[in-house]
Amino acid sequence: MKVAYYSPMPPSRSGIADYSALLLPALRERVEEIVVVEPGKRAPRADLALYHVGNNPEAHGWIVDALKRRPGVVVLHELVLHHLIAGITIGRGHGRGYLDAMERDYGVVGRLLALGVLDNLLPLIWETQPERFPLTGTVLDLAEGLIVHSSYVERGAREAGYGGPIWRIPHPTWPEETIEPAELAGDPLVGCFGYLNMNKRIPQLLEGFTLLRQSRPGARLLLVGDAAERFDLDRRLERLGIGDEALIRESYVSESRFWALMAACDVLVNLRSPTMGETSGSVIRGLSLGKPMLVSDLGWFAELPDGVALKIPVDEYEAPTIAAALELATAHAAELGAAAREYVRGEHDLGRVAHAYVSALEEAAGGEAVSNAMLLRIAQAATDAGLDDPSEIVRAARAAGLV
Amino acid sequence: MRVAVCRPQVPFVYGGAEIVADDLVAELRLRGHEAEIVSVPYGWEGMRVLDHAFIWRLLELKGSPGKPIDLAIATKFPSYGLRHPNKVVWLLHQFRQAYDFDRTEFGQFSESPLDRATRLAIERFDRVAFGEAKRIFATSGNVAGRLKRYSGFDAQVLPHPPQKLAYRTDGSDGFVLSVNRLDRYKRIDLLIEAAKAEPGLRAVIVGEGPERGRLEQLASGMNGRIEFTGRVDPDRLADLYARCLAVYYAPVDEDFGMVPYEAFLSAKPVVTTLDAGGPLDVVREGETGIVVAPDAAELARACAHLAAHPDEARTLGEAGKAVAERVTWDACIDALLS
Repeated sequence: MKVAYYSPMPPSRSGIADYSALLLPALRERVEEIVVVEPGKRAPRADLALYHVGNNPEAHGWIVDALKRRPGVVVLHELVLHHLIAGITIGRGHGRGYLDAMERDYGVVGRLLALGVLDNLLPLIWETQPERFPLTGTVLDLAEGLIVHSSYVERGAREAGYGGPIWRIPHPTWPEETIEPAELAGDPLVGCFGYLNMNKRIPQLLEGFTLLRQSRPGARLLLVGDAAERFDLDRRLERLGIGDEALIRESYVSESRFWALMAACDVLVNLRSPTMGETSGSVIRGLSLGKPMLVSDLGWFAELPDGVALKIPVDEYEAPTIAAALELATAHAAELGAAAREYVRGEHDLGRVAHAYVSALEEAAGGEAVSNAMLLRIAQAATDAGLDDPSEIVRAARAAGLV
Repeated sequence: MRVAVCRPQVPFVYGGAEIVADDLVAELRLRGHEAEIVSVPYGWEGMRVLDHAFIWRLLELKGSPGKPIDLAIATKFPSYGLRHPNKVVWLLHQFRQAYDFDRTEFGQFSESPLDRATRLAIERFDRVAFGEAKRIFATSGNVAGRLKRYSGFDAQVLPHPPQKLAYRTDGSDGFVLSVNRLDRYKRIDLLIEAAKAEPGLRAVIVGEGPERGRLEQLASGMNGRIEFTGRVDPDRLADLYARCLAVYYAPVDEDFGMVPYEAFLSAKPVVTTLDAGGPLDVVREGETGIVVAPDAAELARACAHLAAHPDEARTLGEAGKAVAERVTWDACIDALLS
């Protein structure tokens, strides 16, 4: 089987590029041929096309363009695609496309909202409330099958009316390697990795960390990643009195530095609200290192087993809960870390994930043809035997997994 | 108890699986049960394999009024797909072309989307069928391991006794015996190559199969040290077992392997290879036989060693006999009917 593979790839600074870099070698061991398609290049002849779709129009706009030319299996890395769709419509001067997409998903109300956005009468929906308007219909319409990483996204796709096959395949984990931790002090050292913005609950984390410092004055916070344009991190740090003695800052770092920094931490925090339905490669990395982890209790994060990560409800007590959870995670680091590592080794094993991918791709490429051929032979045999209605027999074939 | 023993039947082919099912029926009847073979012709080329799986699926073995079937024992793919409220699987093997043989020289599914999806349908069928079984037994650790690895089900290992023969021991006439269908993966050529490397080694090869011509060609010019007998009757087979030095049995990753048990009941050691699979449940290096790498020179050395140390060969064979005698129909039937 030959698969045309559409995804951002390194050096693109994207979690999905990292994901594909990890997954592709394992897939290539199990699939006859995979051709990675580059932006602007002609689509290769293939039995099946696989499209990795995320919410970033710069990274994925060309992939949706290719999907429009040839439907295929979509890996839906995020449920919310509003920013992507806005980018490939309004962003390309094609406002009418945005109107159509909004109307397709939300009817006349959607079209009116979109008109409001185009006329600058309403704030940009993809920045203010994308989770209420995920705008996935355009992509779902073209998907012959969906690969998702969580029940959350699976449910969301079904609620959006998707009726095709969905395969839920966990995010793979990275092969275990010996990592030399960076030399950083902190008692405990609390790490937070990724783009720093409101969605990552950085204000709540800073407040929670400040509370922790009251009982653990030696605690330090390591923030790794660039701050969002309109997120005034420095002012917030100053207001909370988090000075250099309590804070370590690194912006975007190399992969090896990322691992070394993460390995140095005692506890990791990866919060999210609202969620776009995304899975976090950072969380998988941290769990694979056997680090206690705090996550928000929603979306994919809520699906982690209870003993593997401490889940923080998104409510008015979030900051004190974070502080208490950091204490708890530090006190039970060994048990939490061991459970995390064991969970990731099993559920997120790269070979297992690749095997599930291959089954999904093989099913997508030939499953319908095999089912149709079986049904045709059943119908033929039933007709030959004088049976007018072979539906009972067809049900038996379906129950046996044969069609 | 009224028991249906289910097996697919490749027309005009009668081998180990057929023997086991027939023996099971006979042994059940000896113990006062009503037992019968339920069989459907089987073919596995291309998508036909799904048709045959589906034919089994359509069978709902209820029995007739006043004569319900109490238990259905299914033996191998696709017979375990039948429907019965008390279905027990005694697994001889799954459809290996869909699993461990896939993408090897022994596989049958190409890289075409249709073939790949056909293979997936077999996977699904197996999961449904095994999921319905009240209990699952496997004839060897190897078969149980594959079932766990590929389909996720646990099975209790339950080996079956070999066919009934007049097993005995008549010393040793110094030849190494091979009893097997002459298929490529049974690896008879390794024994012939070993005989070429060890001029003192004589071998008798029992069995028929598509490889016979090639193997005879390979054995030509060896002054008759390799004898091909074709199929032999039970008396002759028992006699060959009784008079051989040792038995060679080294298929590639075999499911079970009845031959080692037959050799052991004749108090003969077995020479096998590290990758032989099921036989390794009972052929243990230095205990009941010799286990070598799949290499002609190593095999030749092992056979020469046994020829030079007949007392050791006898001791290994006797130890094997004790192992084989523990595998009884009483134990099998107790487990299957429990």
